Amino acid sequence: MITVGMDLGTQRVKAVVLKDGQVVGRSQAFAGFDPTKATEQAVAEALTQANLKLSDVQHFAATGSAMDMAPYEHSTVSMMSADAKAGVSLIPTARTIIDVGAEEARAVRCDERGVMADFVVNERCAAGAGAFIEAMARALEVKLEDMGPLSLKAERASPINASCVIFGESDVVSLIHRQESKPEICRAVFDAMADRVSSMIHRLGVNPDVVLVGGVAKDVGFVASLNRKLGLTVKIPEYPDYVGALGAALIAAGRVKGGA
Amino acid sequence: MKETTVERKYLPEMQQKEMDELRNTVKVASEKIIADNIARMKKADPHRPDAMKYFDDIANLFGKRQQEIEAEKAKGKKVIGYMCLFAPTELITAADAIPVRVNSGWYDTSKLGDRVVPVEVCPVIRSTIGAKMIQLSPFLEQSDALISVLTCDGMTKLSEILSDQKTIWGMNVPRVKDSTHSLRFWSDEIKQMKTQIETFTGNKIDRKKLKESIEVSHRATKVFRRLQELRKGNPVIMGRDAMLVNQAYSWDDKVRWTENAEKLCNELEARAAKKDWVVSPDIPRVMVTGTPMFWPDNWKLPTLVEEGNPQGIIVADEQCSGERILNDPIGVDEWSMDDMLNAISERYLMASTCPCFTSKDGNEDRINWLITKIKDWNIQGVIYYVIRGCMLYAMEYSRVKKALDKINVPVYYLDTEYTREDVGQMKTRVEAFLEMLNARVDF
Repeated sequence: MITVGMDLGTQRVKAVVLKDGQVVGRSQAFAGFDPTKATEQAVAEALTQANLKLSDVQHFAATGSAMDMAPYEHSTVSMMSADAKAGVSLIPTARTIIDVGAEEARAVRCDERGVMADFVVNERCAAGAGAFIEAMARALEVKLEDMGPLSLKAERASPINASCVIFGESDVVSLIHRQESKPEICRAVFDAMADRVSSMIHRLGVNPDVVLVGGVAKDVGFVASLNRKLGLTVKIPEYPDYVGALGAALIAAGRVKGGA
Repeated sequence: MKETTVERKYLPEMQQKEMDELRNTVKVASEKIIADNIARMKKADPHRPDAMKYFDDIANLFGKRQQEIEAEKAKGKKVIGYMCLFAPTELITAADAIPVRVNSGWYDTSKLGDRVVPVEVCPVIRSTIGAKMIQLSPFLEQSDALISVLTCDGMTKLSEILSDQKTIWGMNVPRVKDSTHSLRFWSDEIKQMKTQIETFTGNKIDRKKLKESIEVSHRATKVFRRLQELRKGNPVIMGRDAMLVNQAYSWDDKVRWTENAEKLCNELEARAAKKDWVVSPDIPRVMVTGTPMFWPDNWKLPTLVEEGNPQGIIVADEQCSGERILNDPIGVDEWSMDDMLNAISERYLMASTCPCFTSKDGNEDRINWLITKIKDWNIQGVIYYVIRGCMLYAMEYSRVKKALDKINVPVYYLDTEYTREDVGQMKTRVEAFLEMLNARVDF
């Protein structure tokens, strides 16, 4: 059975091709102004990797904030259900799945089948999400990918306000004016983000194992701060940015079996 | 129109031209939203009861009801507006005046309110201020005086701000419910309000008139409860339709509302007998609790739930814009003036589940109400709805969540603003919640 999961995120679109429960292709593209076209590209690329054609696909399922713009005839599934399904399939002991993307952070509590039991979403503010790191990297004149490694060199933490990207940025500027070192400011950024995300998770209850997915899971600086904040080690699957798309592909497979 | 001309302490002076332009723009947009909401409600139910037509008309805030009140005013009747359910409307009708609720549901006017109060303030308050600034709200403009019950901080300061242009009667509501002197204090407020209304209208509220008013309320409560009972079983009415009927009571003539609600219930009973369900009985049954949702703009949550993919249906609410309006009857024993006034005091204070109250065990009345409703109405999930700045509801969430966790009923905290722009994000949340209730995802 061949299914495709499409995750139309705010910055990038991701596609996963699933053949009999195995991932045989994955690809992503910038969402840009035309997420539909970007998704078509990502799907085409992922199918090429798998040596498959569009006509081989039995079911497309879309998720992500722009799921209504997904190409091809498809069903939809919420990001939360997709995260729960894929999270437990990748790490069977997962009971809390945190997804930190570009513009949104959310967390899902689920059971051993990957069925969602509760969820929380950040309060419509990008301060707990990837865009915050981007904005701060700009203020610090540091490359986005260098933020994490740099933060690990910090010797101490300086607190900043992460209730809002804009105020956060002005806090960073005052740290610069106080001539704090870059590593310390980078760490302050990740600590502030982790603070936001962990208080969100505490509203849900911290049920191990805690799994971190989404693009920001690839940032070592954020992971270190979050682990410190939660007092545990979050598990991160390989390809954390594809988890939403994988969940959609798995749910698509279930829908083929279920005759949906 | 008689407006008290006093020095403006709060509201900014606005050029007549700007005011007229803004009012016109918002009014045109609002009429479109009203029409669109109703069109969507009609579409949701192909067999929508004929009796709904009457309530659709009342829901046109710039229509029939506005003209009717205007005509009554021309004959010398007074209109007394109110901003909170604690206002004893029976006293108003007994003085031959027209009670009408004036809370604003307009999103656009909340932005105008930002000129007077900071954006962190509750949008209902900001929107009501904005509506007053451009004289948009028919019922607010028609009100000769306003009863403002000082329940939350927003209401308290709102009444001060509106006093720039309106005669305001503040009612001081005690916050600790389970104390005998709270009730005595509130009874005094009610008695004082009676005198105030009598003086203002020039009409004496005698025993006979008050009894009549209370009896009108009794009949309304009876049919109101009948409507909510009809939502207990398999669905025969969309939640939005029922919510609109409930809310229309606050603008309508009470006797005529009751007659039409009875017609509606008769139709719904016939429908139930034919097993003509409005949606599949298998879809998730949802209750909404929290901040009031005022017609016409703030209709986005019920619309999202009932047009969602997957779809849900709202079968109950615990909101002062909904079922709290008429849920509780006024318990009179003797029908003496004193007894009636005490019964009114008790009904408005003790029966309320508003989070402005506390007691030895917090706002336990609300928890009990929610749990009873969940069990009896077979509710599968609760949406805890809060608009930003509504402190009391926001702060009571953690307790409600714990209580509902105990009975294993999922509750989702949904916060929003007076804006249309976040519908996409709300949709994601609402649909994920419905998906969860549904176990729609096949494994």
